[in-house]
Amino acid sequence: MSEKRLSMNGIDRRTFLKFSGVAGLGVAASTFGVPKLLRAAPPTIKIGSVQPATGPLAVIGVGQRRGNQLAVDYINSMGGIKSMDGAKLELLLGDSESKPEIGRSEADRLIKGGAAVMTGPFQSGVALAISTLCEQRQVPFIMDVAALDKITDKGKKYTFRVFITVTGLLNGGIKYLKMVTDLKGVMPKRAVVTNTADAFGKGMSGGFIKFMEKSGLPIEIVDRVQYPLGIHDLSAEMARIKAAKPDILFPVSRPGDGIILARELYKQRVELMGIYGPGSPGWYEPDVIKDLDKLIYYVMVNVPWINPKSPVYQQANAAFQKAHNRYLDTNSAYAYAGVQVIADVIERAGSTDPEKILAAARQTNFKDHPVVGGPIQFDEKGDNTGALTALIQVQPDDDLLKRVKIVAPQEFAQSDKIVFPAPQLWER
Amino acid sequence: MGGIYGLIALGLSLIFGVMGVINFAHGQMMVMAMYVSYWIFVLLGIDPYLSLVIVAAVIFVLGYVVQSALVNRILDYPEAIQVLPLVSLGLVLENCALLFWGPDHRSPQTALSLKTFWIGSVMIDVSRLIAFVLAIIITILIFMFLKKSNIGKCIRAAADNRTGAILVGINVDRINNTSFALGAATTAAAGVLLLPLMPVSPHIGHDFTLTAFIVVIMGGMGNLMGALVGGLILGIAESTSTLFLPATLKQVVSFSILIIIMLFRPQGLFGGKK
Repeated sequence: MSEKRLSMNGIDRRTFLKFSGVAGLGVAASTFGVPKLLRAAPPTIKIGSVQPATGPLAVIGVGQRRGNQLAVDYINSMGGIKSMDGAKLELLLGDSESKPEIGRSEADRLIKGGAAVMTGPFQSGVALAISTLCEQRQVPFIMDVAALDKITDKGKKYTFRVFITVTGLLNGGIKYLKMVTDLKGVMPKRAVVTNTADAFGKGMSGGFIKFMEKSGLPIEIVDRVQYPLGIHDLSAEMARIKAAKPDILFPVSRPGDGIILARELYKQRVELMGIYGPGSPGWYEPDVIKDLDKLIYYVMVNVPWINPKSPVYQQANAAFQKAHNRYLDTNSAYAYAGVQVIADVIERAGSTDPEKILAAARQTNFKDHPVVGGPIQFDEKGDNTGALTALIQVQPDDDLLKRVKIVAPQEFAQSDKIVFPAPQLWER
Repeated sequence: MGGIYGLIALGLSLIFGVMGVINFAHGQMMVMAMYVSYWIFVLLGIDPYLSLVIVAAVIFVLGYVVQSALVNRILDYPEAIQVLPLVSLGLVLENCALLFWGPDHRSPQTALSLKTFWIGSVMIDVSRLIAFVLAIIITILIFMFLKKSNIGKCIRAAADNRTGAILVGINVDRINNTSFALGAATTAAAGVLLLPLMPVSPHIGHDFTLTAFIVVIMGGMGNLMGALVGGLILGIAESTSTLFLPATLKQVVSFSILIIIMLFRPQGLFGGKK
């Protein structure tokens, strides 16, 4: 009876053993196969990287891992850590599945596996969990991407951040808005803020509204339209936006709703001087640029961005494109910079002793990174004082990938003109 | 949107009406249809409205295969067990989409996707209008098919009384396959009509399965007219609610309507014959 049952499912004990054996070998090969070569050259320095490699943020998480790995490979190919007899770096991978509690347990696993320094984790919630753990375990945590200010609050000793803080992001948004209105001599009077109603969207747009009030800019925010993440239809919302008669739109979007917003603006003929993103995705992804074509021209976004002029970026981007057939985007570039900083710190510490790493980290002054910003230096909280946002504007260009141009700060700019006010969407 | 909700729900209702199985992979099948239509548009330059028939045919075949390979085997199992394979199928389809097309949001600009015209101060969106009209036409065609054609009559017979249908010599397995495929093709048509209106990404399927489910319950399980009316009610409620409530409360509105209908007509608006 039981045998019949088993064969009905088409699986007997031998087949099961055979397949599980093959699967086991596969898993073993993927986990240990590559690092084995590295392990042969003593000693290795292990860096733990926890990223959201599966779940809703999988695209980004995988990109982050690739950015981390690219930097590790490059540093190893250049002779490793010279102050430690050419010790090679090894990346230990953890997957947060986009959840803080899993991120924490993955970090714990990597620390037990010998990680001397931790990096990651893209999401602020995960960063909070891992930073607390790293304080307990006394393992330096040099975050590549995570923006929430409070991660580095409360006098954490082992936590450092290469990315910009939310406050820094918002300051940049106001600064560039002032710059554009001064430069062009035009001032919008009425504005509408839109945002997705997830934690990031609410926090970011709420913060932006507060910063606007303090900024002294004479722009009145006449309405704030919130909608759920993953919305399919914004026609009714757009009718409300149109009724508010805004001169400028400040969208805090996520990939997807930017497309719907732009098309509804066009369809309902909402007259605007322009669209200015205070700091959110949805306006610069290659697919969005391609699909929206002329409708996305002249959109401006304040965002932490890659520095295409830097030789480091050019070299890393070429290697990244060769390996993954995608360009090195801003998040992956920050992941790259994270590992670069870690290597630089260990090089100067000459040891993996946590106290020596901390001392070296506080002295960091790292210039050769691939992103917009000054030299990476950490203040007493562990935040990067050199972190900067860029103002990007989508401008006409035959090459789709070249349409996003940095227009400020000056030293990074790819285009010297800023178009504002922009022609109406239907007049292009 | 009402007409499209109605169309998606119609497919779900058809499948439930005939087999008593709830297709939890419904939204994902729609997403598949959107991607097929997207592909045809990008590779061959054929407008989604024109490729509708081809896409519906492709998803019809997918539905037929799913029914004959999977669903026919689980028809006699307890309902809780029936849920699992279909939820898994949804996950498989979703991750296939992720694998083939990546996680990016895609929204090709079709010839009509930005066309509008104005009657006084009221803006009429051409692609929405087309979507609505075509959704109604497809619904009517399916009604006619079920009323007039031989296969349609067999489907209704199988839905009414499965044993009876077997006794009079209807090949119920094949009828099941056809109904599932028809249900899938209906939702595929809805997906194609949606393509010019919203970006497609692998994860949007769940929402539509849920919406279709609400509509079907509102209208009465397995009742096709109920699906259409329920869809229209939901579409109108969602868009008018935005005028006086924050858009984040859209789902609260649709579920509140569902609860109210459940309180007064637990069998759904048009249910109750069975």
